[in-house]
Amino acid sequence: MPHHPGAMETRKANMSTVQQETFDIIAKQAKIDIATIKPESTLKDLGIASLDAIEVLFDLEEHFNINLPNEDTDFDNGTVGQLVEAIERQIALKGAEG
Amino acid sequence: MRRIVITGMGAICALGHDAPSVWKAMTEGRSGIGPIHHIQPGQLRNGGIAAEVAGYDPANFFDDARRSLLDPFSEYALIAAREAIQQSGIRFEGEAASRTAVVIGTGAGGETTRDDLYERLYGEHQGRFHPLGIVRMMMNAPASQVSMVHGITGPSFVVASACASSNHAFAQAAMMIRSGMVDAAVVGGTEACITLGTLRAWEAMRVLAPDTCRPFSQGRRGLVLGEGAAMYVIETLESARERGAEIICELVGTGMSSDAGDIAAPSDIGAAAAMNMALRDGGLSPDEVGYINAHGTGTVANDSTETRAIHRVFGEHARELWVSSTKSMHGHALGAGGALELIAAIGAIHDGIVPPTLNYLGPDPACDLDYVPNEARERKVDVAISNSFAFGGLNAVVAIRRAP
Repeated sequence: MPHHPGAMETRKANMSTVQQETFDIIAKQAKIDIATIKPESTLKDLGIASLDAIEVLFDLEEHFNINLPNEDTDFDNGTVGQLVEAIERQIALKGAEG
Repeated sequence: MRRIVITGMGAICALGHDAPSVWKAMTEGRSGIGPIHHIQPGQLRNGGIAAEVAGYDPANFFDDARRSLLDPFSEYALIAAREAIQQSGIRFEGEAASRTAVVIGTGAGGETTRDDLYERLYGEHQGRFHPLGIVRMMMNAPASQVSMVHGITGPSFVVASACASSNHAFAQAAMMIRSGMVDAAVVGGTEACITLGTLRAWEAMRVLAPDTCRPFSQGRRGLVLGEGAAMYVIETLESARERGAEIICELVGTGMSSDAGDIAAPSDIGAAAAMNMALRDGGLSPDEVGYINAHGTGTVANDSTETRAIHRVFGEHARELWVSSTKSMHGHALGAGGALELIAAIGAIHDGIVPPTLNYLGPDPACDLDYVPNEARERKVDVAISNSFAFGGLNAVVAIRRAP
């Protein structure tokens, strides 16, 4: 596969934007300092449980205008990094269908 | 204290249109869960399954004049109440009319009517509403309809505590009979919640299973909504004997508690408190209980929490209990849940058959009781309890005993 540095750079920039926006939304909903959120944190680690976690997912769905399947939203063991990946997958799917 | 017995039962749900059919399906381990028929495909996000009342035509049960007043949640209540009253043979004549209560649990209300009205208003921008919208969808409609159709003039009302509504209704009716306020009650629960609006709201809570309902099982992924009604005639032991009525079983105790904790997450302490109160109320010791019809919704949180609660209440005896969730067959009928599930508890005592927990794939370490997986089993049961635990932390438990 030919190396295509331009596309790679764009993808990286998008990733960091999605991650940044996801962290912003989590920090706002959970009322925590954004600096405490790491990609390896689980929502549970961040003290976001039960309905608060479901609200975070709803805020993310509204913000990115996507649907996050239940399979991608394991509150206890899933990390924030995995959540960002799931969001990116759904954004890509939307783009492909769009 | 006045003893209370059940002398009539009626039901309609995904498993059948009368109580014997529903009970037979439970003993056969037949599931009523399948693709939703009365919502257009593609409008739901995941699964699109429910336990709908199948093959149902209200014209077979009601004349046009009555039907125009009814949302399905009242239709179901009337169908089940008529069956229960017929079986009981009770008559509401003279003073008996005013000494009988109607208490019905329901969680959502007239959702079909509400959905249709709002579709017209917000979807089609139609200004004209049907004039009978309010009397169809008001929460008290099923209790009013049962009192009107059967000429019952004592206290009639609806109890709303989400998924615990039916069991709270049994408790209210039992207290009124014990106090001497009334001598009999038509009591149970009804729900008709399979509408687009309700389904979408439940989906958003991320508690609906995309595959099926597999309570207490490994790999369980949530609940599946159901609908229907079950109604009972309860009365004093004395009046049943005077009438020469066949006694189905004794309603021996009820227990109620509130978690006062999370609005959605269940509590084993709250659930255990309601079970303990039901046993105490009935003068029962835990080791008399042979069968528990569990709340058993099929969510990860409920089933492990309920298991812990059962261990708390029953200690060593928990290992001897048979525990099953018939929601795997008739779905989670919310406010009608406890009433439908009492059929299973009654059947276990009456016929010595404990209905299974269907769709069970294997044990989850957090759920370590005997859940009667996949096939009904025979056992002599003298005392059974039926659990209901609602969102909002409201718990209600009913205890029944072999007919005296």
